[in-house]
Amino acid sequence: MKKGIIIFAVFLFWLLLVSAMVSLPPMGSPENPAYSHIVPRYLEEGVEEAGAHNIITGIILNYRGYDTMGEVTVILTALMGVLAVLGRENLLHHTSKVDESTIERSVIVKCVVRLLVPFIILFALYIILHGAESPGGGFQGGAILGASVIALTLTFGFSLTVKKLPLKYRTVFESAGPLGFFISGVIGLFCGLNFLTYIIPSVAPAYQDLIRHLLLLIIEIGIGVGGGTIIASVFLAMEKVGKE
Amino acid sequence: MLRSLDVLLLIFLLVTAIGVVCTKDLLGAAIIFSAYSFTMAIVWQQLGAPDLALTEAAVGAGVTTVLFLIAISRTVRREDE
Repeated sequence: MKKGIIIFAVFLFWLLLVSAMVSLPPMGSPENPAYSHIVPRYLEEGVEEAGAHNIITGIILNYRGYDTMGEVTVILTALMGVLAVLGRENLLHHTSKVDESTIERSVIVKCVVRLLVPFIILFALYIILHGAESPGGGFQGGAILGASVIALTLTFGFSLTVKKLPLKYRTVFESAGPLGFFISGVIGLFCGLNFLTYIIPSVAPAYQDLIRHLLLLIIEIGIGVGGGTIIASVFLAMEKVGKE
Repeated sequence: MLRSLDVLLLIFLLVTAIGVVCTKDLLGAAIIFSAYSFTMAIVWQQLGAPDLALTEAAVGAGVTTVLFLIAISRTVRREDE
């Protein structure tokens, strides 16, 4: 009886979804509303209006700045959730499986990680700073930064990373994403314009492009540093094991 | 030529996606999921979305796999089922 009701409810829901799908515009059709209004505008005037040669960056930071700001805040909230459940690591009370492991780590792995990590970090910085011109940006660069910290921790131990990236610096850098948005966005507000407009009207028009570029760069760096630190912090919080 | 590469990638994507669900061993499932993410990154690149490909390769294949592995290392293996 109960099962029958459940199957009936699922069937009804399926019908609802199918009927909604039928009424959608055909997938990939060039006459879809998304392609007839928004895409031409983005492609033709995006570079001019958004101030980034990589149109994706222009869209996510300028046209849809609020959306990206929300995403950055969601990442910070995810970190808060992880910390609320697992707690911060503390070298006095915690160690990790990596540190306790009795298996000697291979010389090859150590050497490769030691040689590669500086270049990985360099690549991450390139992706963050060059996000306005080429594929990439804060999120991607931040993920690579975080991954380099993970590689270091897994090879050279938990206590080294915690000592090199002390908590007092990480707590500041974790909030860099929303902070970058706030700093860049509020400037427009002070000039009597909307939040996240990236324009200072009192500056000569010749420098307007430069200012917009700088403000976008602040946001990119904020997202990158913030995202990387958040990934590192989540990793360290999960990796820790209580000392006996 | 490129079309056949796409078809091959999509078939591999399907196989890995079903493999993740069907594998009982959690460690194996996490590793297959990492392979799925790498394939997905190449598919994104083929579709002309290098931004997404970078994210998928860094987050999907790198960071989440490590987080999965840490989570799995906290679990206990139960063989009797």
